[in-house]
Amino acid sequence: MKSYNILLTGVGGQGLMLLSQILGDACTSKDYPVVVGAQHGLAQRSGSISAHVRMGDVYSPLIPYGSADMIIAMEGMEALRYIEYLKEGGVIVMNSRIMHPPLETAPIVKNRQEKKEYITIDQIFQQLKKVTNKIISLDANLLALEAGNPRTENIVLLGAASTQKDFPLDSETLTNAIKRNVPEKTIEANLKALEIGRRQAEI
Amino acid sequence: MSFQDLIDPKPKKVFLLANEAIARAALESDVKVAAFYPGSPTSEILDTMYLLSGKYDDIKMEVSINEKVALETVAGASMGGFRSLTSMKSVGLNVASDTFYTLGYTGVNAGCVLVVADDPHAHSSQSEQDGRYFAQTGHVPMLEPSTPEEAYQMIKYAFNLSEKFKILALVRTSTRVNHQYAPVNIGEVKRRPFIKNKWNDVKGKYFTLSDTARRLKSEAIEKLIKIEEDFNSLQFNKIIDGEGKVGVITSGVSFLYTLDALDNLNLKIPVLKLGTTYPIPKKLVSTFIKNLDKIIVIEELLPYLEQHIKIIAKDSDCGLEIFGKETGHLPYVGEYNVSIVIDVLSKIFEKNIKINYKEILKRSEELKKVIPKRFPVFCAGCPHRSTLWSLQQAVKGTNFVLNNDIGCYSMLQLEPYNLTDMMLCMGASQGISSGMQHVLNDKIISLVGDSTFFHAALPGLINAIHNQHDYTVFILDNSVTAMTGQQPNPGSDFGPNKVVEIDIESVVRGIGVQNILSINAYDLKNNVELIKQFLDKEGVKVIISHGPCALYNDRKKRASGVPIIPNKVSSEACKTIYACVRDFYCPAIELNMDTRQTEIQLDVCNGCMSCAKLCPVTAIKSVGSELK
Ligand SMILES: Cc1ncc(C[n+]2csc(CCOP(=O)(O)OP(=O)(O)O)c2C)c(N)n1
Repeated sequence: MKSYNILLTGVGGQGLMLLSQILGDACTSKDYPVVVGAQHGLAQRSGSISAHVRMGDVYSPLIPYGSADMIIAMEGMEALRYIEYLKEGGVIVMNSRIMHPPLETAPIVKNRQEKKEYITIDQIFQQLKKVTNKIISLDANLLALEAGNPRTENIVLLGAASTQKDFPLDSETLTNAIKRNVPEKTIEANLKALEIGRRQAEI
Repeated sequence: MSFQDLIDPKPKKVFLLANEAIARAALESDVKVAAFYPGSPTSEILDTMYLLSGKYDDIKMEVSINEKVALETVAGASMGGFRSLTSMKSVGLNVASDTFYTLGYTGVNAGCVLVVADDPHAHSSQSEQDGRYFAQTGHVPMLEPSTPEEAYQMIKYAFNLSEKFKILALVRTSTRVNHQYAPVNIGEVKRRPFIKNKWNDVKGKYFTLSDTARRLKSEAIEKLIKIEEDFNSLQFNKIIDGEGKVGVITSGVSFLYTLDALDNLNLKIPVLKLGTTYPIPKKLVSTFIKNLDKIIVIEELLPYLEQHIKIIAKDSDCGLEIFGKETGHLPYVGEYNVSIVIDVLSKIFEKNIKINYKEILKRSEELKKVIPKRFPVFCAGCPHRSTLWSLQQAVKGTNFVLNNDIGCYSMLQLEPYNLTDMMLCMGASQGISSGMQHVLNDKIISLVGDSTFFHAALPGLINAIHNQHDYTVFILDNSVTAMTGQQPNPGSDFGPNKVVEIDIESVVRGIGVQNILSINAYDLKNNVELIKQFLDKEGVKVIISHGPCALYNDRKKRASGVPIIPNKVSSEACKTIYACVRDFYCPAIELNMDTRQTEIQLDVCNGCMSCAKLCPVTAIKSVGSELK
């Protein structure tokens, strides 16, 4: 099977591991080869995290630099932090939400008279566009609320990702994998999130 | 995994983390006793066995006080005739090494497997220690999987190997193997009834000294010769045929990087993948190298295989050229990846690289300059943040040394705190403080977590009291071993079985500490003065700061339906004084760039109220029960 590499990136606590679990389980249910290299390490929230999802005939758990077909970023800055993995012209599906880390706030507060600014999503787009023009950016936070559960940001982004050309998993397979892997009482919101994400990307 | 798949006794194909596959293999191997101390990248083995032991009540599972006791517990169970499993991170085996080395002499009885995980790149460890030398110097056979499927199979094999030769079996992994997910074909769970044995029926002799030691050592060496015979034809060691006179020898995750790299470069060269790395199957290696002119050894960490293969090549006198770390072809430091392997192979084979990864890395570094770093930080609501805020205020303007220890509070060494003078390994804060107080004039302050207190700090503390030293101990008691995933420790009120909660304050009092101060981590303003006064006291003084790990506590709340109610900043009241963010660094608090006021992220905040207490104009309040 032709390979398809997706790098998932985000901030600890956003449900990125669940997303990689859903993708891996979906592949397994279709008998597609898949390997995921996840970054577990420390348990704390709010650090930068990533998972390498590799579908098809590949071996190692890490995507080689410049070879990811897609980056799914759960947070704006984290789309850029791992940009070395994206292949030339690869797709970025990203949350437009930015979570400003304490390290960014600290110097602004310390030198308040300088009136320093946070980084903006437009500055990030500018950098990303130097690598690809295929960028789908969604306010996943808002859309997740629309789906009825703020914790479904990950599935909103998955919905958007699944509309992309060459994305190897069909909607039925994803739906089944979501049903198998999310807590029972959140299934409905998650399926709605998938649909909302898909619709948004098609607009 | 879905946990249902993992407990289901039926065979099937499931998507599993290697650590889950290891636990499943142990379950299928009829393990009766499992004992662990957590440590990345092995913690999920513990976590999975914990869950499994809740469903299979013939598994005696415990979270031990440290790795030494865990290894002794499983060795004891094996001596008593039942299969047992432990796992630990690389440096964990340092703690258990006294026991480990002696077990190499005495051997065991029922299958006894030890999983040791190295951490190339030191992702979550204090060093890039290479655990393979333990096997070699401890007379213990070692297997090394590359994938979750292989980890699963090797664990099953290791139990049989251990039992056949009455020897401890080591399965050595590395971070990228432990934290690799893939489909695994799991087998059927068949458990034998668990009826305690009689010592007379299973009895062996497990002591060693002098004459016995010398005899046992030669027996161990004989066993290893026989094991090597088995390894020469074992399925885990594979030769992949190829063309030409240049080949690769590799193992573990490096094997996978090699396969990807060869595909990428369109090379079809012979590869020997070693799944058993002690003893090294010399006959197999000799056969492989016999017809080759050159080989490249691809392995992370030290040139362990490389040096062994040099010896084999010299013995077989085949004039082989060997490339690796010692020839400067591959790095000694850091983890490998496909790009590194492509790089070295393309040079040796004079092949063009499709993707110039050095260029890509350079360009990416440039592009990324606009974004701030996102280091791991104390979680929103973490009690350590509050305790350390108070400590920071209390020591302002004084001369002090901060001797840190291993736990979430280790992050104090990172930006923006930069507040650690020493941090070696678990428990070291005590002994090092003892040494320093002999020779330094400054206030000596040590920090330990509750888990680290029990694990290795206690002997150091007793020593300090006995010898009448003079320093301060902060015990940050968050009720769990937080950094590795909130497992229980002896101070916790839960565990895989019924437990007795050990009260830290009573222990400290019992060993003779006179000055003990017990504080609530979240009472952060009042704590400043208390700490200040306490630091001036003479002798060994202990401050115990209480506050449950926020992740653990929030999870508990969610499970029992207790609402988590965040705070908000009132835009009328906020005067941009920034007391809530300065020195506090909570990830839930951001600035609003229009008003320059602070703002709280509702989905990150857990309502610990510490920032509200810091605000001099009381601009921060709970959003009230109507939200969430
Ligand atoms: C010998 C050894 N075993 C295990 C670990 C893994 N480890 C790193 S941090 C940590 C947690 C320590 O818990 P505690 O001291 O209670 O601090 P907390 O993380 O709860 O703040 C452990 C077990 C290690 N670094 N060294």
